[in-house]
Amino acid sequence: MPEVVNTTPLSGFSALPDESGRATAISVEDVSMIFNMANEQLNSLKEYAIALARKELRFKEFRALDHITLDIKKGDVFGILGTNGSGKSTLLKIIAGVLEPTKGSCTIHGNIAPLIELGAGFDMELTARENIFLNGALLGYSKKFIQDNFDDIVEFAEIKPFLDMPLKNYSSGMVARIAFAIATVIVPDILIVDEVLSVGDFMFQKKCEERIQSLIKEHNVTVLIVSHNNDQIERLCNKAVWIEKGHMRMLGSAHDVCQTYRVLGGHTGSKAAEDRVFSMLTSPVQADESLIKPLEADTPYAMAARLSSSCREEATDTVVVAYGEYEMDGFLGAGLASALDAPVLLTKTDGIPDATSQEIKRLKAKRIILVGKTPYCDSAAFAAALEAATELHCEVEALSADTYEGLSLAVFDYGAQRGLWHGPVVLTHIGCMGDMISLSPHISEQRCPLLIKSPGKPLSNAIAERILAHNNDTVLVLDSEEGCPDAQLAPLREHEKGIVRFCEDDAYQANTVIRDWIEQQRGEGHRVRSFIAAPSWQPAYSYTIGPYAAKTGSLVVLDDPQDLDCVARAIDLFESRRGEIDQIVFVGSRTQFSPLDKTMLAKAATVETQA
Amino acid sequence: MSHAINKATLKRNWFTISSLVSKDFKLKYRRSALGVVWSVLNPLLMMIVLSAVFSTFFRFDIPNYPLYIILGNTLFALMSESTTGAMWSILDSSSLIKKVRIEKLIFPIEKVLFQLVNFCISLIAVAIVMVYFQVAPSLSLLMLPVLLLFVVLFSAGLGMALSALAVFFRDVCHLWSVVITAWTYATPLFYPVVVLPDWMMPIMELNPMYHYVSYFRQLLLDGTVPGLQENLLCLGMAVVTFAIGLLIFKKSEKKFILYV
Repeated sequence: MPEVVNTTPLSGFSALPDESGRATAISVEDVSMIFNMANEQLNSLKEYAIALARKELRFKEFRALDHITLDIKKGDVFGILGTNGSGKSTLLKIIAGVLEPTKGSCTIHGNIAPLIELGAGFDMELTARENIFLNGALLGYSKKFIQDNFDDIVEFAEIKPFLDMPLKNYSSGMVARIAFAIATVIVPDILIVDEVLSVGDFMFQKKCEERIQSLIKEHNVTVLIVSHNNDQIERLCNKAVWIEKGHMRMLGSAHDVCQTYRVLGGHTGSKAAEDRVFSMLTSPVQADESLIKPLEADTPYAMAARLSSSCREEATDTVVVAYGEYEMDGFLGAGLASALDAPVLLTKTDGIPDATSQEIKRLKAKRIILVGKTPYCDSAAFAAALEAATELHCEVEALSADTYEGLSLAVFDYGAQRGLWHGPVVLTHIGCMGDMISLSPHISEQRCPLLIKSPGKPLSNAIAERILAHNNDTVLVLDSEEGCPDAQLAPLREHEKGIVRFCEDDAYQANTVIRDWIEQQRGEGHRVRSFIAAPSWQPAYSYTIGPYAAKTGSLVVLDDPQDLDCVARAIDLFESRRGEIDQIVFVGSRTQFSPLDKTMLAKAATVETQA
Repeated sequence: MSHAINKATLKRNWFTISSLVSKDFKLKYRRSALGVVWSVLNPLLMMIVLSAVFSTFFRFDIPNYPLYIILGNTLFALMSESTTGAMWSILDSSSLIKKVRIEKLIFPIEKVLFQLVNFCISLIAVAIVMVYFQVAPSLSLLMLPVLLLFVVLFSAGLGMALSALAVFFRDVCHLWSVVITAWTYATPLFYPVVVLPDWMMPIMELNPMYHYVSYFRQLLLDGTVPGLQENLLCLGMAVVTFAIGLLIFKKSEKKFILYV
């Protein structure tokens, strides 16, 4: 679990209307539940005596619920949201009357049908018929009631042919169906639903939801639902509460609470960052949706193909292909492709992904430069696989070496022989992904050669020679003082090379610094109008972002919707450039950024038009 | 109004108890060829073994010795099995207690009633032995329900206390089987009480099971009804035990969910 979880109440949406006229169904008043953790682990007299003798019977309190006050009106469909271990189930148990609160009180008006975990009290040895009666009895039904409704239960559960079979021979889905059927055959005043809808197959879930809907609509039943499924709560409920670590965070309409939970729930970040995100979420500004440009794909390979096709429509002779499983192959490939003004695609070591071969076919490529380490970089195998997939016969040239240092030198030499390199040398180390992604627009734009230093070794002569031979006065170092000490760079300084080192505490800070630096290099009058939001959790989707960024003049914003500090920073950035932004491109898998995440960033960049 | 609710609750709880008893009954004999016959056969076989052993080694001077044994054993089994069953009842139904709001007293009571049903079936075995030894029942048989009420109250009281204690200290479960064994020997089940030295008699008087077993034998073996004083003593022991058991249970039942 994240170490920083904010638990203070949030308020920003309009308050609920005054409903004092409506009858109350459940009234939870200032309920706290305190578990005594130390004491509960003593399971025997001996342990108890020892603990007593050692005076270790201290009370280690665990506050599962802290001053919860809820007033649920008759006919409400009330959702409870919260991350795991937040006290949702404890609250339901208190309302169901199973658990007694340590402090406060809970008053119920009407009878309750609790669906807290289905099938409690089933005996696997008994038949379904026997279990229906037994379970009905345990739930407090009368014998006559069960007899009268027996057929309904059997019909709903769809178990007629198996009625006299022991329950142990049933599938778990069938057991869940019976349990749900028994529990909902009665029309209660209050129905409590705890995650039950997550069991069973899709058809059954639909059926359960319909049954709950009919109880709500036809019988005006008050319903309390706990679910991890945000959409389900928003669909079914009219009101909701968000509980985090036993504290009430937000109480309001289901729509508002669910929307907030989607963006903030279970995400880490400082209080200030959360407030920032929350105020953006609740701000009444209508987001300018035209700013959002989703560029998403299912796999990193499809992503690379999509990036390639969106910067180049016409056919081309040469295509660079790198191995997408390894970040450095990807970055080297992208750098070389930009220098060659060729598209870059990614492939896999065990075959060419469909998206890649299709894009090569579309580009009508004749020559392919394959970038990868030995032994997996195999030009003959690649050519054969490509021909098998697309019937395209290409000349495949492999740039490969045993180490990344060697590979980067091979790529450097290939470009240097053809006079392709232009910008400052970028000296980096293996695994420096965040900084590489941040810098990739500059690398592609300026045609910077990329040199990779072997880890734990001094700067090799081979690298130093190339840097000195390269016709640019600046060296960009993406490494810490520790990884690449200044002393090692001294010889370069002697030859009047300027060293610019980027090294920050984390990838996000580095992202800001690098972005500012790139913009500064471009000079006044070249304000960036396009940004690419790249997910820091899925770097593979961003290996080949460079050529696209260079083409569109975009800069990269590393974003992680799970990290509120990061989201807040992105909001600050876009807000400070409000009105100067033409587009925000979202790359990554389709689920990386939710529609709400996108809208929120667009909102920050939207100029409010006065009505 | 509240009276009507109480009656409805009672009726519902009774249905729950009877459903649980029928479940236990079905599970006990499920997939055994002889099924319920075992409830008759078991005390009979036990009786044969015990009377064979003890009539060879000890040669107690007891008329209709096998009948003497089976009467003592079946009644003692009612107490020992029902208290043991009740002791586990709360722990065994932990999944239910954690999830459904239910009267927890149902569980120990149900186990005692289940054993009562078993006892009634094993009375068939007693009847068979009586026919064999040609001991005719007298009108004193009519007092049997009274005795059973005493024993059930007594067992329920112990069962409730044990079930509650077992939740907090699992040691109770291990300890109880030892206590039952000791109690078996401390009660004149297969020996006559007269073999005991005089100084032990006052202690034996404190053993409720001694009173109940003697009561049972008096009804069926001697065909007489114990006096009013003995009846009051038996009732007193049953009621006090029941009250203490109920008190312990009610005092602690709210904490069960935290420990089961």
